[in-house]
Amino acid sequence: RGGLAERLCRLQNRERSAISFWRHQCTADAKIPADKSGVLIVKILEIFEECTIQVAICQQLEQSPATLSSEDATISAGEPILKVLFARETAAHLKSRPQDVIHIYPPWQKLLLKNTDVPVIMNTYFSQKVLLSEHSEPRENTHGLTKMLVRKNIISLAQTFSLDDHDQELHQQPSDNQVACGPQIRNNCDSNQHPLARSVVNDSLLEMVESQGAMGWREVQVRVVIQRVYCLPAREGYRSHIQGNKPLCATPIVNSDPPNVRLCLLVQDAYGMFSEVQLQSLSSADDIEQYGRRWEGKFCCLAGMKIQQRTTRGRASGLFSLIDSLWPPVVPVKVPGQSQDSEMMTAHLPPPSFCYILTVQAGEIHVEVDEEEQISNLYQPPTVHGLKDILQINGCNQRCSFWAQVLYLRLQAKQSVNQREVWLFVTDSTLQDGVHITPKVVAVSVAASCVLGTEITAALAAASRLVFFKDVLWGNGRIICVERTVLLLQKPLLYSAAGADLSELTGPVRLDELDSTTQANSICALRGTVVGVNESTAFSWPTCDKCGNGKLELCPQDRGLLYCNQCCEVVVSPVLKMQLEVFLSCPSRPQSTVRVKVWHKMSSGLFVLINMLLSLQSYEVQSVLGKEVGLLNCYVHSATSHPNCVALEEIVLL
Amino acid sequence: MDSTLPAVAEELLKEIKKAFQETSQVPDDLLLGLKFIFGPSAVPALDLVDQRSVTRVKSPSGRTAYQVLGSSGKLYTCYSSCHFCTCPAFGFAVLQKSESLLCKHILAVYLSQAMGACQELTVSEEQLTSILLAEEEEEG
Repeated sequence: RGGLAERLCRLQNRERSAISFWRHQCTADAKIPADKSGVLIVKILEIFEECTIQVAICQQLEQSPATLSSEDATISAGEPILKVLFARETAAHLKSRPQDVIHIYPPWQKLLLKNTDVPVIMNTYFSQKVLLSEHSEPRENTHGLTKMLVRKNIISLAQTFSLDDHDQELHQQPSDNQVACGPQIRNNCDSNQHPLARSVVNDSLLEMVESQGAMGWREVQVRVVIQRVYCLPAREGYRSHIQGNKPLCATPIVNSDPPNVRLCLLVQDAYGMFSEVQLQSLSSADDIEQYGRRWEGKFCCLAGMKIQQRTTRGRASGLFSLIDSLWPPVVPVKVPGQSQDSEMMTAHLPPPSFCYILTVQAGEIHVEVDEEEQISNLYQPPTVHGLKDILQINGCNQRCSFWAQVLYLRLQAKQSVNQREVWLFVTDSTLQDGVHITPKVVAVSVAASCVLGTEITAALAAASRLVFFKDVLWGNGRIICVERTVLLLQKPLLYSAAGADLSELTGPVRLDELDSTTQANSICALRGTVVGVNESTAFSWPTCDKCGNGKLELCPQDRGLLYCNQCCEVVVSPVLKMQLEVFLSCPSRPQSTVRVKVWHKMSSGLFVLINMLLSLQSYEVQSVLGKEVGLLNCYVHSATSHPNCVALEEIVLL
Repeated sequence: MDSTLPAVAEELLKEIKKAFQETSQVPDDLLLGLKFIFGPSAVPALDLVDQRSVTRVKSPSGRTAYQVLGSSGKLYTCYSSCHFCTCPAFGFAVLQKSESLLCKHILAVYLSQAMGACQELTVSEEQLTSILLAEEEEEG
């Protein structure tokens, strides 16, 4: 697009030369030119100034007043009133006063403001004052003697400009109107009563977009294929509740406020062009799995859309990484302007560089999905790969899909709860059965922008689950779930398995053993012998004997008793858990200082030692030195080579 | 008498936004309209938009401000709730002399909004507070 400034400079230079040329013409020819079309004839009633622009309240005259007598040239009610703006230089040239008559030659511009009847005329460079011959002489005299004082309006700085549409109230998003009603999407069976049934159905998104100004959108329908269904966090109206010092609750992934999410479709038309359609707000992303099953791959008709944005590759890399994963189209697409007999070789088409983001207008039916019909040939279901293949992909910002078992979950809270980052440690048969080089378990991060339904977050926290990761981002050696990634508890109906072995895992899951290649933020297994303890880390806490909840509270009625808010009961005989950091010598990473916080699987000797440490009794570290510890599953907090140490924490896999 | 120019300026900017949304372009007549209303600020403001110099800074509580990278490399702050800019031209032409409605930076903010050319940046509450309360370091 670039170079708006340059364009305006060129236009301005052209305009300036036109103005000076015109001015020369006018002074040379003192007579009033014959009325040409497009000339505005105005009589000034009042003048004031705002920021060097002269604002003249004028009356529009039908004919040049030279042909009228002086009496007729007085104000007659009913003549249209105009506000004419003059630039500083034009005003200085005209030296207008009230009652003056001005001819304004084209090109001038008219602007109609909302809420007022008075049109505004601007770009009035080609203006000329008309001298009424009877009055000219006495006028000249007074002109020279008194300098005209023009009132100057000072503009308040408090008044800002709003560029939003005034059809809706300010700050109210159209989606607010839609939350109360059900999804504004109907099945085809209602089409008999459908108000849009009679209008023409188009198959080009670009044509629909380009015709928006001319016809308005309501009459135009476009038939497209739904390639993907997902939820996006709604940015506007996003309420951030800062939780302060409140500790994270039992299911920490879910924000306690209803997340504002919008249901979105990525659609593609018969010409291969994509568009993202943002539908109404949902209170949660729970139904996303259902919507996906019912709609992905089907045709739908769009109508009454509003363009939210035209975005480009540079500004929306997340959206375009998804579009790239669906490029090139799997069937030939139409070419605009050509006869459709020619087959288009889609393999050589360049991927799209722009995409329109559409939203719905309030209150109407907009999207009709043809659920009964067959899946379109244009649809590209997610291609599932084994994790081993994904780790070997060469490239950045690629979207991919896989099916994996979640072994362990870790929450990393950032500045506020709303910016939670969840780490899932996953594996599949390709990693478990793989050779030494590839890791057995991979860390997947789930950013806050990836919308998760409450069902899936509860399921992830509860037990080890098989999860379908759809359209995650792979780049720089990391797998990230971001916007437009969807996590599903069941495999979708359609997917293509690119030679991946999607069999269930047989046998127990194996973790990589701690060794010199172990990195931070990973999980591993280790065994070793105790070579020391960190006495100051000894700690014990009570847990519920029924559910194992480690965060018991004091009973409100009786502060001497403990209460479990998961079982909703007083805990009569709590189980005391203990933890201690021990230093191990591990044969798999021999030169390292290995520091592990153990708390789950503990030898009796260690248990006794901790007890003594906590009760400040004299203790004998000797009793635990040299004892074997392992096989422990651990999370690696940090692993450095200089100094060579690893800090870990014992974990329990899901 | 109520002022006229702000409503005219606002309508012009809205027309630009609408034209840009529909055609991804700004027609010549609207560009000339910008020149007419905003005078010498128009071309520099468009240049700032071409350079993508405008960033919308927001904090988790929803507060916003704009930062514009001026041609000299200096970063100026424009407020969202009223017309204010930390540049010296604003202090002189707008505040002191009431010669202009806006300075080129504020106009660039509006044009960037209209054409979707704002960069977005989210910062913490403390950072946004320090941006809004920043002391002018240079003299004159």
